[in-house]
Amino acid sequence: MFFFTIRRIIASVFVLLASSFLVFALCAASFDPLARYYTLQPRPPESFFANLREELGLDDNFFVRYWNWLTGALTGDFGETVNGTPVAEQLGSRLLVTGRMILLAMVIAIVLAIIVGVIGAVRQYKASDYVLTFLVYLLIALPTFWFAALLKEFVAGGVNDLFGEQILYTIGEETPGLALYADGWELWSDRLGHLVLPTVSLALLAFAAWSRFQRSAMLDVLGSDYMRLARAKGLTYRRTVVRHGLRNALIPLTTVVALYVGTLFGGAIITEQVFVWHGMGEYLIQNGIGNNDINVVLGWLLVSAVFVVLFNLVADILYAVLDPRIRLS
Amino acid sequence: MKFSKRSAALVATGVAGALVLSACGGSDDGGGEDGSGGQSGRVVFGEATDFPENLFPNIAAGNAVSTANILNGILPGTFNALPDFSVEYNDNLLAEEPTLETEGGTQVNVYTIRDEAVWSDGTPITADDFEFTWRSSRSGDPAAGGCASVLSTTGYEQIESVEGSDDGKTVTVTYATPYADWQGLFSGDFGGGILPAHLMDDEDPVALCESLTAGWPISEGLPSDISGGPWQLLAENIDVGGQIVVLTPNPEWWGDGPNLEQLVIQNIGNDPTTAVQGIQSGELGVIYPQPQLDLVEQVQGLEPNVESEITFGLSFEHLDFNTQDPHLADINVRRAFAMALDREEIVEQTVGQFSSDAQVLQNRIYFNNQPQYEATAPDEYQTQNVEMARQLLEQSGYTAGPDGIYVHPERGPLNIQIDTTANNPLRQTTIEVMIPQLREAGINATYNANPDIFANVDKPTSLAAGGFQAALFAWVGSPLRAATQSIYSSPQGDNVQQNYSRQGTPEIDALFQQFVTEPDPEAQAELGNQIDALLWEQMATVPLYQKPTFIAYQSAIEGVEDNSTQAGPLWNSETWTLQ
Repeated sequence: MFFFTIRRIIASVFVLLASSFLVFALCAASFDPLARYYTLQPRPPESFFANLREELGLDDNFFVRYWNWLTGALTGDFGETVNGTPVAEQLGSRLLVTGRMILLAMVIAIVLAIIVGVIGAVRQYKASDYVLTFLVYLLIALPTFWFAALLKEFVAGGVNDLFGEQILYTIGEETPGLALYADGWELWSDRLGHLVLPTVSLALLAFAAWSRFQRSAMLDVLGSDYMRLARAKGLTYRRTVVRHGLRNALIPLTTVVALYVGTLFGGAIITEQVFVWHGMGEYLIQNGIGNNDINVVLGWLLVSAVFVVLFNLVADILYAVLDPRIRLS
Repeated sequence: MKFSKRSAALVATGVAGALVLSACGGSDDGGGEDGSGGQSGRVVFGEATDFPENLFPNIAAGNAVSTANILNGILPGTFNALPDFSVEYNDNLLAEEPTLETEGGTQVNVYTIRDEAVWSDGTPITADDFEFTWRSSRSGDPAAGGCASVLSTTGYEQIESVEGSDDGKTVTVTYATPYADWQGLFSGDFGGGILPAHLMDDEDPVALCESLTAGWPISEGLPSDISGGPWQLLAENIDVGGQIVVLTPNPEWWGDGPNLEQLVIQNIGNDPTTAVQGIQSGELGVIYPQPQLDLVEQVQGLEPNVESEITFGLSFEHLDFNTQDPHLADINVRRAFAMALDREEIVEQTVGQFSSDAQVLQNRIYFNNQPQYEATAPDEYQTQNVEMARQLLEQSGYTAGPDGIYVHPERGPLNIQIDTTANNPLRQTTIEVMIPQLREAGINATYNANPDIFANVDKPTSLAAGGFQAALFAWVGSPLRAATQSIYSSPQGDNVQQNYSRQGTPEIDALFQQFVTEPDPEAQAELGNQIDALLWEQMATVPLYQKPTFIAYQSAIEGVEDNSTQAGPLWNSETWTLQ
């Protein structure tokens, strides 16, 4: 297992190197962080442009720029944004925002996916299976931005109207400035009220697709010989399904979940935007691409790539835990 | 169904992890401060532009609308830009209207600061602050004691001296050469504002430049939480992760207001649906989004709980012709192009959809709602004139081809590509309305979204490099108009400044020279309109319309009024009250 992990990590370092070089080249060719100043009225003096070009290193050769960035990144220095803020500082806080938003949602989605998938498989073609299948396909078909908007409009609006006060919130992580004059339960219930909708939105949409994986994996397993053998040996139905069936049927879901969660750390772009959480997705789109900021894009790339690699690794290790026949070494 | 111990443990760890992560969010619980001056209530303003990374307004990093909105009630300034685009002296800071004298080719302004005007740390606001504000912005050349990070030296570079008398409460500013937009200097409503010398000054210009370059990073806030206005931004009230700043009343403020206990500025991004749903749910008090048709309609549907207002701002759309293009070098073609346009219809199909107050802009120097505005356009351009357009083209040797498009024996068919910025529906619609109008006059126009339109000369299709035929974009201006010189003065060799149509005459240049050095507003207005009349003769650019701005607010908040100048929607926030 140890050597396997090391091998995987070394391989991913090369992947990261290549992708960072590629993205650096694309950004360097298309970004002009000075563009927004050309049309300012009055136009800034030439000395301003010359100074900014020098400060951002735009006059250097492409390879020199990449080398400077790379050596910095290796020592944990991701450079500064075009506005002079250290990227590493921003990445940290952005990552926490995204983390706060997705973690609970993913736990709920995994649990739901397993339950719904197993029920669908065990009661295949029964009424409950049809109802769940219908609901799940409905969720899969819903675009994120629309589902989130519906949640805001009807669920938040409805619940708040019902109670006659603001219980569910649609913007941000907490009522702005609340921490200045409230604490304890008021603050926590407020944060919870802000967390509900993004969590529901992310969890329901993610769980929908996963439950189908779980259902078909479970169906495969239920039809296998060892399940029949387990029953023949006198184990109860429930025990065969949970101990022998579910455990094996979790392997495909593990891969899907690990890949998805890994990429999600790069930002749930639409959910973040709709619910105004300033996380990783917004960071890439607005601060990075929107501001023509090469260090931001590269910093984002590196961090989100590390998460993808990390979660893939976790998936591989979980295989071994779930299926003793798989030996990673 | 039963989980095994291990899977239950896994789930439990996940849930616990999520809770822990959720717990480390948010800012520290600061003690609630009670409004000491009888203030009550809080208003949340939904900021649609990027959260600022730096609060120092005179450098690139602080050059953002969001910074200007925050600083509006913090840094003092000499003149204010009012919603009707008039410019008035700030009687909170100044005891009387500043005087203006122009004798012997120089200009002298005398400002009298109110005795009670102090910074939030108790230091009086004096001539030293004026002197420092000037010194820190007068030059971009380090060799001359300047600082290259400074975004604009315009105006300040013409000042010779700033001197104080009467304990620093009288400030005498002497210009080497007169400067027309003097009211915009030492004034936050036109960029910048008066800086606190006692916290920022350094005798060594190199050290000073270093500190100016670093500016005021948002994570640190303003130096000593300084304020010279009604609001104060305490460093602990900045939540960088949540992109929220909370302004509280400046305890040392000597003027009226603020009436609110807190003014919260929360960044909500530029998604219009978010803004509308936020104001609908009551989470936001005031929004100032880019107007879009469905957005405006949705907000209007929220009356009477939410009130809204459309106004026309300082940004105007216009069409530029590249006078180095073989077709458009011919003035007859440019005139024909302009005559073929039905600008009334263009306005009706675009900004006219928002408000029946939308008008065709008939002037490049002044905006429709400015007191100086005159419709300087000659009659033949006031309305569509296809007949005359065709005649002009025929005079220049064009003949109508079988498809109705004019062809020139040397220049070929009259195909004109109109470039504009990518992903801008308003501009796309504008060009789509133009195309059939131009076709009537035998001009084959096409739409082209050009991502490099504002790039530097190294991108061949940029405006700066001249790689376009016609271009549709906007200039964002100020009620003070001297800066338009760089758009309409003749290019000097390769240096086109901002004159992308590359057209100019010595007569216009000479008038502009007077325009930018005429400190008397009335005399300047006359010159401005005179220049614009000459610009119609050159027909290198066609003004179209002013862009609308849109403000919406809870009806419970009293006193909100749009100010579409750089002063912004929070310009009078100290007078807001909550019912």
